[in-house]
Amino acid sequence: MNRKSLIDRLLQWETLLAIIFVVVVLINISLSPFYLSLQNQVNLFHLSIEKIIVALVMTLIIINAEIDLSVASIMGLAACVFAFVWDDGFTLGTAISAALLVGALAGAINGFFVAYVGLPSLVVTLAGLIAYRGLARVLVEDRSIGDFPEGFDALGQDPLFGPLTFGIILFFIGLAIMIVVLQRSGFGRKTYVVGNSIEVAEYSGVNAKRLKMILFILSGLVSAIAGILIAARLGAVRGSTAEGFELDIITMVLLGGVSIFGGSGTLTGVGLAILIILNMRNGMSLANVSGNAQTGVIGLLLILSVLVPNLLQWVQTKLNDPRTSGQT
Amino acid sequence: MTKPILSIQDISKRFGSTQALDSVSLDFYPGEVHALLGENGAGKSTLIKILTGIYQADSGSITFEDRPIVVRNSFDAQGHGIAAIHQEPMIFPDLNVAENIFISHRNRGQIVNWRKMYADAEEILSRLDISLDVRSPALGLTLASQQAVEIAKAISLDVKVLIMDEPTASLSAHESEQLFKLVRSLRQQGVSIVYISHRMEEVFALGDRVSVLRDGKLISTAPASEVTPEAAISDMVGRQLGDTITRTDNERGETRLVVSNLTKNNVFKDVNFEVKAGEVLGFAGLVGSGRTDVGLALFGIAPADSGSIAFAGETVNIRSPQQAVGLGIAYVTEDRRGLGLSMPMSIQSNITLPLLQKYLTRLGLLKTNDERDTAESFRKRLNIRTPNVDTVVGNLSGGNQQKVMLSKWLNIKPKLLILDEPTRGIDVGAKAEVHQIINELAAEGIAIIMISSDLPEVLAMSDRILVMREGRQMGIFSGESASQESVMTAAMGQANLSLGEAV
Amino acid sequence: MNQFWRNIRPEQLRELSLVLIIALAVLFFGSQIENYYHPRTFNRIASSVAILAVVAAGQTLVVIMRNIDLSVGSIVGFTAYFTGRILVNSPEMSPVAAIILAMLMGGGLGVINGLIIAYGNVPAIITTLGTLAIYRAVLVNGANAESIITSALPTWLVDLPRLNAFTFGEIQIRAVVLLALIVVIIFQLAVTFLPWGRRLYAIGSNPHAAEMAGLPVKRTTVSVYAICGALCGIGGFLFLARFGTITVVAAQGMELQVVAAVVVGGVNIFGGSGSLIGALLGTILIATLEQSLLRWRVISEFWRDAVLGLLILLAVTTDSLILKNLRSWWGRSTQTDSPSPATHQAEIEVEIEEVAS
Repeated sequence: MNRKSLIDRLLQWETLLAIIFVVVVLINISLSPFYLSLQNQVNLFHLSIEKIIVALVMTLIIINAEIDLSVASIMGLAACVFAFVWDDGFTLGTAISAALLVGALAGAINGFFVAYVGLPSLVVTLAGLIAYRGLARVLVEDRSIGDFPEGFDALGQDPLFGPLTFGIILFFIGLAIMIVVLQRSGFGRKTYVVGNSIEVAEYSGVNAKRLKMILFILSGLVSAIAGILIAARLGAVRGSTAEGFELDIITMVLLGGVSIFGGSGTLTGVGLAILIILNMRNGMSLANVSGNAQTGVIGLLLILSVLVPNLLQWVQTKLNDPRTSGQT
Repeated sequence: MTKPILSIQDISKRFGSTQALDSVSLDFYPGEVHALLGENGAGKSTLIKILTGIYQADSGSITFEDRPIVVRNSFDAQGHGIAAIHQEPMIFPDLNVAENIFISHRNRGQIVNWRKMYADAEEILSRLDISLDVRSPALGLTLASQQAVEIAKAISLDVKVLIMDEPTASLSAHESEQLFKLVRSLRQQGVSIVYISHRMEEVFALGDRVSVLRDGKLISTAPASEVTPEAAISDMVGRQLGDTITRTDNERGETRLVVSNLTKNNVFKDVNFEVKAGEVLGFAGLVGSGRTDVGLALFGIAPADSGSIAFAGETVNIRSPQQAVGLGIAYVTEDRRGLGLSMPMSIQSNITLPLLQKYLTRLGLLKTNDERDTAESFRKRLNIRTPNVDTVVGNLSGGNQQKVMLSKWLNIKPKLLILDEPTRGIDVGAKAEVHQIINELAAEGIAIIMISSDLPEVLAMSDRILVMREGRQMGIFSGESASQESVMTAAMGQANLSLGEAV
Repeated sequence: MNQFWRNIRPEQLRELSLVLIIALAVLFFGSQIENYYHPRTFNRIASSVAILAVVAAGQTLVVIMRNIDLSVGSIVGFTAYFTGRILVNSPEMSPVAAIILAMLMGGGLGVINGLIIAYGNVPAIITTLGTLAIYRAVLVNGANAESIITSALPTWLVDLPRLNAFTFGEIQIRAVVLLALIVVIIFQLAVTFLPWGRRLYAIGSNPHAAEMAGLPVKRTTVSVYAICGALCGIGGFLFLARFGTITVVAAQGMELQVVAAVVVGGVNIFGGSGSLIGALLGTILIATLEQSLLRWRVISEFWRDAVLGLLILLAVTTDSLILKNLRSWWGRSTQTDSPSPATHQAEIEVEIEEVAS
């Protein structure tokens, strides 16, 4: 309620995440000597690079009190557009531009229905999830398109700077830019204001609709970039490319402490959550835990991250004042 | 005298460092309207919430029909026949009227008998002389009808004590009259009514007994016949009134705003007025009379359908708040919490929000030092009581929040400032400060429109007063010709009006 | 006219329009596809509807009270697999016992969801996003990389999808279709005539007021998730019967189809309105389009999902338009003398709450 406890809780949150991270790292070290090797550390980012790039924009979307379920489908669609255009004999540049354009357009369609028609983003982007995936399948049907130029595949697979791949560099540049945008720019400030209350924003002369529109276009565009990256990393594209990624991406953001109701959360938290998830998955892989079980553990972590603070708070009020129990 | 149906003894309740209720004892009698008075924060709402089981008292006891009772939740309260009608009706918009009445009943069998429910609902409504279609969904009902449904709900639960929290706050005069009739008929049926209102006329027209709370303490309780409004007010504020700030005259500049035949379908019609630089135009009228809607039309939130607006000599067509802000029009809303301020954000971030582009570098980054300077200057100028401008707005008192909201809009250097209920819900000291600020702003040459339900405030602070009723402009009074009676008569429209010096 | 609008609920209008759209779609495809009006077409659509309709019924109950259950696909997969496993190990188990077992399993998982949401105060979307992953993980671990195969299942189960309840001219009503219909009808009656059902609408309509009115919000929440889980259990059982071969990825992604069906069926994603009949019609419409597009030669079958996405958008857009218009009709018909902004205000309040949720 008062300022101190709010800050306390924020501190608690990020401290909590940091502690979990340290614990995960320690367990991983004990699991395998290979864990700390440079190759493994790079790999751990490399294998999930598309998801964590999109998580950066998803953070802004959820802070803005919306959600974008269609990101993975846009990734798939952009990858398919890229492959389709390339396969049709156009240049690499044309193929990439077409993919980016389609991604931005898909985002713009989401944004239009959310911001200007006023429909709930949960439903609009659910429709997007299904429809964009459908369009991707219309393009490549049940084929697999590959045979991209070597330079393009190398961009997705080979180290570019030291041991780092292009995608990893892109992620860290993106993270730096997004932190500045969210914490230090007028756009970031407005994102929080609109997320807290769209009415307050509009009564303050903020063009909340345009802001939402821009965010969804950005989300589509970044998803398209991620889609092209995955095409390069895997060297081939199918209709099902990136299917189901949205849940992982949203989990990263929510675990990072971004409120599902909007208005609060930081990229520091999301960054920590990404580190936790990637390292946990890596550690579990080293311990031969199956991919699905890994997802289960992360799902459990997601629920506990909200449940435990709630329970603690409940216990605290119970202890402090038995009479006020039962009220929230 | 009969025995009280409900008594509270030495009820205390504490929230953090505030003593919301301090050892309050009261008796409520059947067939009596017990008016509860007090300023905001005096403890009335807390008392209601304790009686209805939403809060639990820290100490003290509640006796119902001579037996001590424990009210743990609203279901317990219902069981004892205690029900409350809250300021904003607790309506289920998707359910129809009949269902809204019976939804919390637990003794209507295991299966919903719709036909019987409609019949029962109709019976209750007709007993109360309320004409509503029991099958229509609550979604489209007016606030007054929603309140009627709530009263019907309470009656259907065989209520013995009915608590009404500012039931007329959002009602038109006609609707209020209907409500009073209902209250009187309930009293006749032996219901004990706890009536909370800020409107003295109502309190003394309806109340059989008047109790005053201040700072969580019971100050006085007496039969209404033995209390005068003046005495009640001085009990409420803790001192004699009379030292309010009044309007200081200043020079007028050019005509800043001319509004002609402004109309918004179904909301307001043919509104005509002008405001000069340095002038305060008061907007009086009951809640729902269209005053706020005119303000919102000028600010571009809900643009008008027809009519014209000339601002600073030029005809403008205001379609969005961004455009209004660009022109130099500021609207300070009545709803600080819901519309005015971003509660979880700092004072500084709130103040710079409407003019954020002024605080950005070419790359779009925030110049936080400039922001801080601006916020600091307003903190000093408007005397915002806070250790620093990083304080989260939600933690400030109502008065300080109001000042932050004023700062936010003064920062755009407005040419026209629309103030909607500028002193609602703030304490007496802060109120005087806000009035002082209004005087200063007018002297600086800002044209001001002040919408207010506080009649003494409108009379004291306005150069001229525009009165609205049910979407129509009833006239404009010059400051001297306006009196409490003449403005109220125009606003309520009870008598045939002779609209004095309508300008 | 006013009287007409006042007595019509958006649900009814929606259901009517859905029936119309389904009829139009059938007429259209009938003119396009050879031999479309064949009992086989009906049977194919009906059996693909059965599983989805049962699960959508559970989801509808959840959505009406302003919640969501994203874990339904995992629960269906979980119950399909483990019911299958138990039937493989004890083939002598009776059909009724098997279906009750599936319901208990699903109900148990649903109760876990409900408890975390109601008593742990964790938002429904976070809880069920988590349990979506958890239930699937438990399934994968429990399965030990073994699939259920048709040949190991009792014959009555394998024959179940083709079992006819009764024949209606040339059209045969399959037992599974009948089962789905019975489920939908039972719960439609429950939400219309049981106080419990009306409370769902009240809570979804205004959770704060429900709390203030002393309605048992938490208990109702748990019960609804339990029922949704149990219906997923039936869905799992039907899934097992229909496909026979169950791997650990069974019914993965079904939650999206189910939410789509519910939304197309006119259930307000913000709670308070919608019906089970509507959700059933939504399911039927989607299944009709899917099965028909598969046979329509003019466009590639891959257009199916793109069309479905468009359909969802269309459905919510018309919903919001219908709702807006009905609101203003109600508003006007109940306003007597004054152009009071109260309706306007009430509408804003509703929207604010929607946003807040």
